Amino acid sequence: MTGLLTRMSPQTLRIVALLAVLMAVLLFFATQIDNYLTGRLFNRISSSVAIMALIATGQTLVILTRNIDLSVGSIVGFVAFATGSLIAALPGLHPVALVLFAMGLGGLFGAANGLVVAYARIPAIIVTLATLAIFRSLLVEFSDGRSITSNTLPDWLVSFPNTTVFSIGDFDFRAGFLAAFLVVIIVHLALNKLRAARRFYAVGSNPEAAEMAGIDTKRTVFTAFVLCGMLAGLAGFMFLARFGNITVVAGFGFELKSIAAAVLGGVNIFGGSGTVIGAFIGAVLVDLIETSLVRWPLVSEFWREAVLGTLILLAVTADAILMRRLIKLRTDREAARDHERERAAERDRATHAEAGS
Amino acid sequence: MTAPVLALRSVSKRFGMTRALDDMSIDLHAGEVHAIVGENGAGKSTMIKIMTGIHQPSSGHIEVGGTRTVVDGPHAARDAGIAAMYQEPMVFPDLDVAENIFISSTREGVLQNTRDLHRRADALIARIGMQVDVDRIASGLTLAEQQAVEIARALSQDVRVLIMDEPTASLSAHEAAQLRGIAAKLAAQGVAVVYISHRLEEVFEIAHRVTVIRDGQHISTQSIDAVTPESMIADMVGREVGNYFEKTPSTATDNVILSVRGLGLAGVFRDISFDLRRGEILCMAGLIGARRTDVALSLFGITPADSGEIAYKGQPIDVRSPAQAIRAGIAYVSEDRRKLGLAMPMSVRSNISLATLGHFLSPAGFLDRRRERETAEAYRDRLNIKTPDVDAAVDMLSGGNQQKVMLANWMAMQPDLLIFDEPTRGIDVGAKAEVHALIREFVAQDGAALVISSDLPEVLAMADRILVMREGEQMAIIDHADATQEYIMALATGQAALQKAS
Amino acid sequence: MKNALLTATTAAFLAGTAIVASADTVTLEPGQDTNMVLLPKFLGILVFDQANEGAQEAHAELQNPGELLFQGPTPENSVAGQIEIMTTSATQGQGAVMLSNNAGDQIAPAAQAALDGGTRVVTWDSPIPSGDGEDVFVAQVDFGSIGIVMADMAHSILGGEGKMAVLSATPDAANQNAWIASMQEALEGDKYAGIELVDIVYGDDQSEVSYNRALALYDQHPDLGVIMSPTTVGIQAAAKAMQDEGLCDEVKVSGLGLPSEMVSYTLNGCAPEFALWDFRDLGYLTYYTAYGLATGQLTGDIGETFTAGRMGDYTVEEDPGRPGAKRILMGPFTVYTSDNVEAAAQ
Repeated sequence: MTGLLTRMSPQTLRIVALLAVLMAVLLFFATQIDNYLTGRLFNRISSSVAIMALIATGQTLVILTRNIDLSVGSIVGFVAFATGSLIAALPGLHPVALVLFAMGLGGLFGAANGLVVAYARIPAIIVTLATLAIFRSLLVEFSDGRSITSNTLPDWLVSFPNTTVFSIGDFDFRAGFLAAFLVVIIVHLALNKLRAARRFYAVGSNPEAAEMAGIDTKRTVFTAFVLCGMLAGLAGFMFLARFGNITVVAGFGFELKSIAAAVLGGVNIFGGSGTVIGAFIGAVLVDLIETSLVRWPLVSEFWREAVLGTLILLAVTADAILMRRLIKLRTDREAARDHERERAAERDRATHAEAGS
Repeated sequence: MTAPVLALRSVSKRFGMTRALDDMSIDLHAGEVHAIVGENGAGKSTMIKIMTGIHQPSSGHIEVGGTRTVVDGPHAARDAGIAAMYQEPMVFPDLDVAENIFISSTREGVLQNTRDLHRRADALIARIGMQVDVDRIASGLTLAEQQAVEIARALSQDVRVLIMDEPTASLSAHEAAQLRGIAAKLAAQGVAVVYISHRLEEVFEIAHRVTVIRDGQHISTQSIDAVTPESMIADMVGREVGNYFEKTPSTATDNVILSVRGLGLAGVFRDISFDLRRGEILCMAGLIGARRTDVALSLFGITPADSGEIAYKGQPIDVRSPAQAIRAGIAYVSEDRRKLGLAMPMSVRSNISLATLGHFLSPAGFLDRRRERETAEAYRDRLNIKTPDVDAAVDMLSGGNQQKVMLANWMAMQPDLLIFDEPTRGIDVGAKAEVHALIREFVAQDGAALVISSDLPEVLAMADRILVMREGEQMAIIDHADATQEYIMALATGQAALQKAS
Repeated sequence: MKNALLTATTAAFLAGTAIVASADTVTLEPGQDTNMVLLPKFLGILVFDQANEGAQEAHAELQNPGELLFQGPTPENSVAGQIEIMTTSATQGQGAVMLSNNAGDQIAPAAQAALDGGTRVVTWDSPIPSGDGEDVFVAQVDFGSIGIVMADMAHSILGGEGKMAVLSATPDAANQNAWIASMQEALEGDKYAGIELVDIVYGDDQSEVSYNRALALYDQHPDLGVIMSPTTVGIQAAAKAMQDEGLCDEVKVSGLGLPSEMVSYTLNGCAPEFALWDFRDLGYLTYYTAYGLATGQLTGDIGETFTAGRMGDYTVEEDPGRPGAKRILMGPFTVYTSDNVEAAAQ
């Protein structure tokens, strides 16, 4: 077992550790809640996590570059509303065009963030805290008190997220979830295979070294924000399709949830390491804990947020300790190997020296 | 002879009033290891930063392959085939070795083929004769391995000039030898290697030519066969002591206040032993990486030593924190005024009372502003601090006056032992002499001072005795009577045996 | 200018005669000049815009030459924003602030300061819980009767027998809490003996939270018969959730909703019955009340009766839910079913 663990890359280790925590949470609630471990639980979580998975993926890209985007919730809200307004006005619009519109609009918001953060060199936490409020106010202004309701939306849009594509037993795999999962996989592959994407890691890992090595750190950070905006835009589209009813509070609080998901998923808040698969599992974990807490009679409404926070903290801690153990196992092995090598080299030198004298 | 791959032509660089480089010219040829030596602050770092495009020359220009070229940033330097590596390697701790090597390469495709990347990384690592698993994450690498990664990164870009700035300073002897081997190998492959080191024996081992610089100026460039350690040290030191400072007469007594025996901190310094008497100024001399500041920080309790003994005023003492040191009457005046010593936006008055705020509290616990002001005014007169008034913010003052404010801050504490770290760095000659006089005045009143200084004339002017360190080791303690700049430099560069023989 | 002055004088004269002419029921004289602010919980919510439309209608009808401002905080800044707007309005010397309170008692000091400075404070939709700093509360319906109506809707949907759960807004929303309490009281009655209230959860008036909470309710109580949601966001989200998951045959949704948002769910049977009052009317009546107080034509004393334009006569009375506070009860509300929802949704 330890042999297997030490052979895995830290990335894989991290995911294994996360899945272990996920299992622990599932088992815990299974002892607390009747009728808990059913296909229905899977359907609930998979349908509702689709949106947060996309946002957490975008958030991960930004965090990798040692930045943060607090405005994602407001972007989701605005894009959901604007996309809803567009399709209500032009019901014949092609679905692809609508998706592109949502992502493009989100990308514009992301570009605004990215410009100020990367080129004016203002800390991301300040910039996006401001745009969090600005984008939301734009939505209030733009909506003019109207809300989008599902009866103004075309059927294809409203029914899309809940269409079951295939089922395994009681487990329904629905279009919304599969689409989001596909995006996560694509981004994951891109992050691992695209040379340009590896620079997100480089910039977040050591910005100074990246600058010295001739990497265009500004453009890298800017790109991360644009992509994050586009993914938030896509999430806005999904939000519209799933909930149908869009008011000015749509997407409220998503920024913190997405950060929680990313950090829980092993994305280093100081940049440089983490995977979107991890963030995806993090999003699942947050959603699972939240959904389960509602059904846990022991916790009253007033304590739920506090318990949610505590559980996330616990999960992060458990995960961190687990990771440290596993990494230590690895480094011990490597150190032993290095030591062996060093000793061999010394023996070499000794024999040489003898031969020489 | 072919044109030099890289040349500086009459390059000067000024930062405000200071002249970091003055009419510097140098040629670097393919296939040579070109050593550059000089004291701390001679202008080596500035020169590297000009070559790598981080700084732009105030006047003069750069030629690459005989063509005048503007190197206006790391990007441009990389395109010109110039790469630099430093004592602290610039690696990406979260990426694996192979990625670290190729991350900034401009000649890669859109997609990254991990297997191919690892194969090529293996080849590069092999080319420099190291053994590193290319799929390891860089954060777990040793310093030597990280440097290998940096060299490999430079090689991946067809480097023509590789600048190595004190590359062996933090390496073990074995690793350092390995690195020198790499440098020699690269030169043999046609790279111009710029090698900056305080270890003269290294220079003699691998350099083909040596350039000595001093005070920002080019002193000499010679073939290694034409120089001896003595001539090199003479060039590095090269100035008349008398022109600078008068030696202040010793006030040392026989009363030992601080006695240090076998002090050590694992991996940093070891076996430091000395006595310091009341009325005495003991200077610690050495080059960058000699670990003098680390010894001071241990004595002051910031990074407590893990071996050896300290006796203070005849009693054994185990200093675990700065607060404890201050209570015992030990003060430390930092080298880095901005980071450790002064609260820059605050007033001169507040800074002077910073370490001794307790003295200015009324019985009810309020700050007695009047007494605070009187004390500040007294120090302002005594130390001749040039400020419009004591309420001016410290960062409005000149470096010399800032230094005096910091002195006042610690002298207000009326300590028994003052540790000064580079007390006159970056201040003008007049102010330097004033600071020297103040330190002497302080010890004459039954105090004692431990002064860290890289400024040899200053050391000779102040010290009653001199402790020379080199790479964490105490080389010798010499009396002022026996001290010359050349001897100190020889000790600091590890050429003492040679110096004594001459 | 001269004209305006003339009109004002005439109006004042007419007002005087009006009070003399009918001592019992005050008829408000139009044309008096007072600036007023309509302050919703926050901007961007349909029902508040409807209230604004009603207020604007009354503003035009009463020919007030002053300004009627519709001013509210952004959603993320509701509490602090409401207090700030209250304070600013008082400083500007506005005639009246009409407040749908989202700040609990935190706003009371600011409102009291406004009152002391001569600005009248009329609350609507959601009052100041303590009644401090408030002239009068224009109640959309009797809070007690909302409980009975909700209990009745549950009774009719369940056929008198079954389990009910509540999906509310936030745990500290004053109006929803009062309504839920009154419903629990009503459920004590013999008529509702077969109805069991199994759970109360909160969706924070956000679509996604409410949606997920509704599903969680079903998961937790598989034999649930009806979800009662006394908030327009919650009822819509719950109905959508039940429809998406194909649960409308098992679980019905009811509560307080907007016909335009609920029409499809009512027609397809997911939410066969729900109720609401008219927010336009609420804004209209609130404006009449505030205008009367700000121009000095009304005193706001208990027992005072006045005519609110097209809506008829209303009387200031003690608020049974808040001892010491006063209210004007608008009522009634409409119960929507498949019979009338389409017409109302237009």
